[in-house]
Amino acid sequence: MNLLFQQVLNGLTLGSIYGLVALGLTLVYGILHIPNFAHGALYMVGAFASYYFMTDMGLHYWLAMLLSGVVVAALAVLSERLVFHPLRNAPPIHDKIAAIGILLFLEAVIQMLWGSDFRRMASPYNGILNFDGLIIPEQRLLIIVGAFTLMLALHLFLRRTMLGSTIIAMAQSREGAFLVGIDANRVAMLTFAISGMLAAFAATLYAPINLVYPAMGHLVIMKAFVIIVLGGMGSIPGAILGGMILGFAESFGGFYLSSDYKDIIAFSLLVVILSFRPTGLFAKGAH
Amino acid sequence: MLQLDRVDVCYGSFKALNQVSMTVAAGELVVLLGANGAGKTTLFNTISGLLRPTAGSITLEGRRIDGLKPSALVAAGVVHCPEGRKLFPQMSVLQNLTLGAYLHRRDGEGNRRNLAEVFELFPILHDKRQQPAGSLSGGQQQMVAIGRALMSRPRLLMLDEPSLGLAPLVVNQMFEVITRINQSGTSVLLAEQNAFAALKIAHRAYVIEGGSLVMEGDQQAMLGNEAVRKAYIGA
Repeated sequence: MNLLFQQVLNGLTLGSIYGLVALGLTLVYGILHIPNFAHGALYMVGAFASYYFMTDMGLHYWLAMLLSGVVVAALAVLSERLVFHPLRNAPPIHDKIAAIGILLFLEAVIQMLWGSDFRRMASPYNGILNFDGLIIPEQRLLIIVGAFTLMLALHLFLRRTMLGSTIIAMAQSREGAFLVGIDANRVAMLTFAISGMLAAFAATLYAPINLVYPAMGHLVIMKAFVIIVLGGMGSIPGAILGGMILGFAESFGGFYLSSDYKDIIAFSLLVVILSFRPTGLFAKGAH
Repeated sequence: MLQLDRVDVCYGSFKALNQVSMTVAAGELVVLLGANGAGKTTLFNTISGLLRPTAGSITLEGRRIDGLKPSALVAAGVVHCPEGRKLFPQMSVLQNLTLGAYLHRRDGEGNRRNLAEVFELFPILHDKRQQPAGSLSGGQQQMVAIGRALMSRPRLLMLDEPSLGLAPLVVNQMFEVITRINQSGTSVLLAEQNAFAALKIAHRAYVIEGGSLVMEGDQQAMLGNEAVRKAYIGA
């Protein structure tokens, strides 16, 4: 029973992080049709930025996370302005190539500044809660609660505010959005900013129970792509649920099979689900 | 109010509009007649900033507006209600209408007044305000599209084929509403294939063929014109 609970907890933790990263990726894809391979690099920069604010500047964990969110949001907007915006009328393959270019560039910059060592990021929440035999590390609880809070906040922003509904409007009818006076550039920048911020928050939440290193984004972005393909490209609920499915599959698969196969599970799942539902699980109920 | 002077529009090497010159005076209801593919929608998209003219100029009350972004044109009062409606299908009717007032979002009082007017014009929309716009019938969706355009506070309203695919009874209603909108002081440019019904409510009309304006006249002249009757009215 206890072991089972630990796996559920692991699944929720992983699923929360995957969900947050996939949300940013699916927003950018759903609205701007850019498959942003650089999203994993933004996630990595988010972890390094928090690491820098905490260890070099001595800021508190929460403040570091907030600042890192701002830095990565700015970086994401910059990449939109300098790279993706000029390519808006180019064939789609150019976006992909450019995104991989940004990925390599950001990794090289981080490696130049910090080297390729693995670093440990301390969190003020390294205690362990014990509920009558059920053991929950504080940081894991923080990840789960934090991720759900962010998802709820995003949902309210998109549904309840005028600014948020411009994003949804652009996704549902581009031409309609133009004709009511919504500015495409503002929506593009806003979408990239949100996506970058979510990546930075996810990285800062997850880093204390993992490690910080320049290649940390690789596997995460591959899995995030698996998730948004599963969830239906551009679907927001699909990204959240897809993240959870993947998190649980990895956690239980790693436990009952072998943790060596943990990463294979994601991709096997992709193959299996796409064989039965080629358009993904939520392709229709998008947005 | 609106003036086009020898406007050309090209898609690649294909010239979709050729030397189009036209005017819409303040308070006028002008109809643009033409068959499918004649260039009506291209002309509308050009005026509303979705396309850029390759030559010629467009002015609104003396100010050059060609090459402006669609959002700048909506702000200037040129509002385009497009063919195919282009609603936000998964959003509620109310959200669609609210987004029409996007540029006026700081004027809550004015928007409430406008919303009340739209509901007065189309009472059925009030009953269906919480339903997703995509779930409505064609006629009701067209009402949402016109309502959304009215929420943008047009001084010149461009309606592209509002009667397309609607039942005859609904078409009559639609034309009545368009007359009312025009009588309240909004200039209207209306593209239609339903020539007879459109000419009955229009002050003037243009006929477009193969990307060029081939005929122009006031309501009586157009209704009496033999070529127009043959080509567009079928009598």
